[in-house]
Order: sequence, then C-alpha cells, then structure tokens
Amino acid sequence: MLLSRVAESLYWINRYLERAENISRFVEVSEAMSLDCPPGSAEPWLPLIDASSDRESFDKRFPEKKPDDVINFLIRDRLNPNSIISCIQMARENARQIRDVMTTEMWEQINILYWNMQEGEAIWNKPRQEQLSEIRRECQLFYGITDATLSKDLAWRFSILGRLIERADKTSRILDVKYYLLLPSLDELGGVLDELQWIALLRSAGAYQMFRKAVQNSIKPNSVARFLLLDPIFPRSVRYCLDGISNTLRMIDTSPSTENPSELECMRGLLQAKWSYIRIEDIINHGLHEAIDSLQMDLNKLNDLIQEKYFIN
Amino acid sequence: MVKNMFSSYQPKNSFDEYFKDNVNSAREILIPLLSSLDNMGLEELNRNHSAAKKLLLRHGATFRLNDTGLKGTERILPFDPLPRIISKDDWVTLEKGLKQRLEAIDLFLDDIYNSQKIINDGIIPRELIESSEGWRPQMIGFKPPLNKWCQISGLDLIRDRNGDWHVLEDNLRCPSGVAYFLENRLVMKNIFPNLFSGRIVKPIDEYPSYLLKTLQELAVWTDTPKIVLLTPGIFNSAYFEHSYLAQEMGIQLVQGHDLVCNDDYVYLKTTSGLKRVDVIYRRIDDDFLDPLNFRKDSCLGVSGLLDVFKAGHVALANAPGTGIADDKMIYSFVPKMIKYYLNEEIIIKNVETYICHYQKDREYVLENLSKLVVKSVAEAGGYGMLIGPHSTTNEIDEFSNKIKKNPRNFIAQPTLELSTVPSLCDGELYPCHVDLRPYILRGKDSWVSPGGLTRVALKKGSLVVNSSQGGGCKDTWVVGK
Repeated sequence: MLLSRVAESLYWINRYLERAENISRFVEVSEAMSLDCPPGSAEPWLPLIDASSDRESFDKRFPEKKPDDVINFLIRDRLNPNSIISCIQMARENARQIRDVMTTEMWEQINILYWNMQEGEAIWNKPRQEQLSEIRRECQLFYGITDATLSKDLAWRFSILGRLIERADKTSRILDVKYYLLLPSLDELGGVLDELQWIALLRSAGAYQMFRKAVQNSIKPNSVARFLLLDPIFPRSVRYCLDGISNTLRMIDTSPSTENPSELECMRGLLQAKWSYIRIEDIINHGLHEAIDSLQMDLNKLNDLIQEKYFIN
Repeated sequence: MVKNMFSSYQPKNSFDEYFKDNVNSAREILIPLLSSLDNMGLEELNRNHSAAKKLLLRHGATFRLNDTGLKGTERILPFDPLPRIISKDDWVTLEKGLKQRLEAIDLFLDDIYNSQKIINDGIIPRELIESSEGWRPQMIGFKPPLNKWCQISGLDLIRDRNGDWHVLEDNLRCPSGVAYFLENRLVMKNIFPNLFSGRIVKPIDEYPSYLLKTLQELAVWTDTPKIVLLTPGIFNSAYFEHSYLAQEMGIQLVQGHDLVCNDDYVYLKTTSGLKRVDVIYRRIDDDFLDPLNFRKDSCLGVSGLLDVFKAGHVALANAPGTGIADDKMIYSFVPKMIKYYLNEEIIIKNVETYICHYQKDREYVLENLSKLVVKSVAEAGGYGMLIGPHSTTNEIDEFSNKIKKNPRNFIAQPTLELSTVPSLCDGELYPCHVDLRPYILRGKDSWVSPGGLTRVALKKGSLVVNSSQGGGCKDTWVVGK
C-alpha cells in the first residue's frame, strides 16, 4: 500500500535525477564536440535547449546567445526549471516529503548531492568536465543505493517507472538533436562519416562501448539510430525502457487484464509493441524526427494517464 | 589535570554542572569525562565539532526558521559536543517526579472535561479554566482510549543556583525535539567515541519502540492497527523530526490531504484506494486539526476528524484539549492537582509563579518588572516573553500595558540563574545556560526517556535556550558512579 502523494514523489524524484544526469551527459559531450566548431558560436549548443523546449525563455533572457550562457542555463540557472541544479533541488524537495519511505542511505545521497551543489561549494572550482561527470556519478550512485537498499515493493516500482520514462525520453532527444546536427555534414562530405562525431553522440548516451560490442562494423548513422532506439538489451535504448515501463505497470496493477482494457493498459501495450516490431529502415524512410516526435507525445500521454490513475484521488 | 583545555574557563555565579567553584574542583561524576577530554585537547574537539556539523547536515537534521521556505533559511540545530551529565541518583528521583506529574495532569484533564470535581471543590476557579486558550468545550463528556489524554509529553526542567531541579513548563500538546535528542547521541557515538570510554551511559535508542507501542495500545479495537504520523508538511520547523520518527517506527508520514473522513471512519488515500487508519500521531495543533470543528481556515487538517475521534473509530495522540493543562497559569496549579488527585507531595517543584489575573500578584509584578520574567500563558518557543533584567524601559512599559489590558494572559516568575555546562562558543569553552526536556510516554504503562534533550543558550550571556531564539543542544548522559 502506497500513498498516492508518495508514489508521485518517488516517480518525480527519479525523473528529476534522470533528467539531471542526462543534461550532464548532453553538455559533457557537446562541449567536446564544440571544439570542432568556429569559436564563440552558440550554434552547436542551441539544440540542447530546443531539446528541453526551453528556447523561448532562454532567448528572452540571453539575447546574445553565448556558449557560456547556454551552459550556465543548463547547469546552474535556478530560474530554468530544467537546469541540473533545479532538477536536483526538486528531487530533494520531493525526497524531503517522503523520508519515511526512502531508506536513510537514499535520503543522505540525495541530500548531500543537493548541499554539494550550492553556490561556493568545491565542485564549482573544478574543470567543467569534472563537474559534469561528478554530477552524473552522484545521480548514478543514487540509483545504485536505491537498488541495493529499497525493498522491491510498490515504492520501488514507481521509482523505476519515473526513471525509465525519463530515460526513454532523453535518449530519443539526444539522438534527435545530434542526428539533425550531424546529417548535413554527412551529405557535404559526400557520405564520408565523421566517425568522431558519432562516437561522441554514442558516448553522450553512455552507449559507446555497448554499441561497439553489438555492432562490429564501421559506425553508420543507421546503426547508431538502431542501437539507441531499438536495441533489446541495452539499458538506455528506447525499446529497453519501454519494455521496462510496460512490465512495471503490469506489476503495479495486479488485477488481470479484462476484455475492456483501460486507456493506460492500451497505451503501455501498444507502445511496447510498436517499438519492438519495427525496423530502423522503416523509421528512417518515414522520417526519424517524426518518429521521435510521436514517441515523445506518446510518453507525455503515458505520463498523464499514470498521473490520472495513481496520483490523483 | 584539566589545566590545558579548561585553563581559561570561568564558571559563572550560577550552578555549574562540571565544576563546583573553579576548574580545580571538578564534580566527582565528571572526572572520567574530563580526563578523556583532556586527552583530546581543544584543537581536536573543535575539528571534530565541524565534522559533527557536517554529519548532521548529511542526515538532514535541519529546520527552517520561518514558514516561507526561501532558500538559505534551512539550517541545522547548533550542536555542542560537550555532553551534559546527570547522575543516576538524580535521575531516579526525576523519573518518579515526572511520572507523578503526568499522572495528576491526566486525571485533571479527565476531570475537567467530565465531572469537574476540582472546580466544584474550589481548588481551581472555573473562570480560569474556561478563559484558557487551551480549553476545548468540544471535548466535554469525552473519554479517550485508555482514559489517557497525554500519550507524549516533554516537560522542561531547570536547575537553580543550588542545583535543585524544578519544572519550568509542561509541554502537553505536540512537544518537539525528541529527534535531536536521539540524533545527538548518534553523532556523539560516531564522532566522539573516546569520550564514552570507561563508563556506561544509559542508552536511549528504544524511544521509537516505546513510542510505537504506546500508539499501538491506543487502538483498543484491533491488534493490527494502521498508524500514521500527521505532519503539517516540509515547511514546518519540526519536519525533520516528523520524518525521522515515522521512519524509525516504520509508520507512514501523512499530510492532511492524504486523509479523508467518510461515514465516521478516517481513511488514507492510496494507489490502491482508501485504507482505514486506526491511530494518528498528530503533530498539528488542535486549532488546525479539523476545519469543521476547530479553525475553519485550516488547510492542514482533515475535515470531520474530531467526529471520527469522538465516535471512537480513530485514536489521536495527544487527544485534543490537552492544551488547557499546558497553559502557563494552569501550570501553577499542578502542585495542588497532585495533592488533590494523588494525595502526594510534589516531587519536582514548580518555579514560583505570579498570576497576573490576581490583583495582589499583578501589583507585585507591575512594580518589579525589571527583575522578573513575564510569559504569555499560551505561547511556546520563547515567543511573547519579557526578561526583565535584559530589557529596555520601553520594552518594560510595553509589557506593563499588555498586562494591564489582559491580565489573564500573563504570568511572571523570578529571573532564574539556569545552571551552566561548558560549551564551545567561537572555539573557546564558555559556561552556557541549559535546560532539560525529558520525554514521557504514557500508554498502558509510563516510560520516561533516560535524560532528555538538553537545550543550551549558545550565545554568550543569553538565558533563552529555544531553537527559535538561536539556542542549540547537546547530548545528555545519565550515568552511574
């Protein structure tokens, strides 16, 4: 038995931390990639902001659009609700409300992460790449502690649900943004792949080594897209996350499916099927961007249905 | 022996709990601790003090000073590493005295909300009861489970210039601080294990178990009660404690909107529908508990909760209405209650108290404001008080007017020289004033926490120990010889 409010908090703690982790991945890799672009240009950065749909508020506040503005906006800007620091703060506020449900070790991890991110703390004196990898590791530590200390009950399931939905969303966004950026250069160079850039993309999704293990050929756009979207066993691929989401929802709602499944049941089943039984060539022929766009709308819809069924009552 | 660390330490006029007159006359019970401290030295003490603060921050033992929730207002309760020591002999008497006092107070509550014998026998005037802010006429004719009203209380004790113990205040509504009491011991064991060497300090870890047992016993209708802790939420200054206790007991921490009353029962809203609740350890004041029956504008409580309680379908700890005995004027009648209900003499004495409601007392108080401490009878947390010797003429005039305008609302007490314990102030040892808040649990049996929360006025010269007024706390050890 779990309070609706508590379920919602667990779900969001995990979404926020997953989001913070993914932003740090974005920026970590983009910074490396930007070294290949003309100095002082924010162009390679702006898609990062497009990806979180915060372009309007960014443009209003930072008309000069300097690369540092983008980075600050994404990492330390408290006025940007999707910055790393805002996500961590929101995760901790939610954690504070449900300390009776989390284990002490989970709470301490999220609490100390929050305090270590305050202005003036040691982390901000490190090189940026170090800051970002530290944030990423701290978030991962939280998942690890959760896995190792929390009983596998409803609280655990709602945590996983939040984590997977956010992860599916972010992996697809990383691909969307980078694919869009990289493809023109592919044409210009007459089909010669700038392998380093694709490696960077895989790294930002934490997928490089697993991709190499799975795909022994040279790195091609299609095989990268296939791996990030459709790989059945890579834990950050969209398909893997959707499998997990579907299974978790089935475990949460233990009443057997009826002839008349609820909207939420239909959604989770259809999404899982759709991304399990599709080939990458078909996706690309119909437009990769369109496919990712529709995935994101489906994930939003799924979020609303979960909200309606479990969090409001 | 203690030359190094305490070389510049100078006890004040008040009773110093470490030393009799000066640093060469340590109290016998302190000798093992002083020797461990001396091995450590001031530098290491200060270093470990910072480590202790970091540990408290990591644990999240923080509170927010006001209710705005603005960033930067969250802080830890200042923690002082020098423990306060109470001898087992003293403690045996205190424990007996606390149980006696609570027994009488519970009988008093049962009496005034039912047969009102103590009023009819002329011991306490009716007008003083019915004019109290803590009086809840809604509770008239009601008998709570086990006939006990105060399951959880925390009384404030002080030692006077001679080292004699007194009760300063009865906190019978939602006394806070117990999490710091438990947390302080944890920090001491983690950071200062050497100070424990060579002695047995009475353990305190069983508090959550006794609290849980006390709450379980209230659900007389079931052997498997569903218990929750009702908190006003994260912006409440005691929120850390609410979450800490819920976690320690393995019960759910809920807010008003997690609960709903339906057909004379109260339910939790869960992901699998409504679930019945049997016992609520509520950390919300009477006023905000139930907008239907108390304050209409409360958005913290649960509509209809009092009706479910009165129907006997949920237990509330503490029962609504205990605030009457928490009234600082009613406090002055506790010695009479003990005589009246138990036919015993009071074991831990009250502090002499002037009741401004009475003309004779009032005249004395108004003439001697610069020597007295004046308190508003319904306030807690060190708010609404005047400390005569530390106040300006303007402040005294202001209080004088307040007293004349509403004498029922004020009592006065002599300014007490609270006992002192050496504490770290700006890296140096300094005699700081302390009080003690032991916690008393009353289910089928009574249980008193060994020791309690020692609150300490860490500002040099300050007499106010409340956390809302910049006070801190230290670990308290009950030890044998």
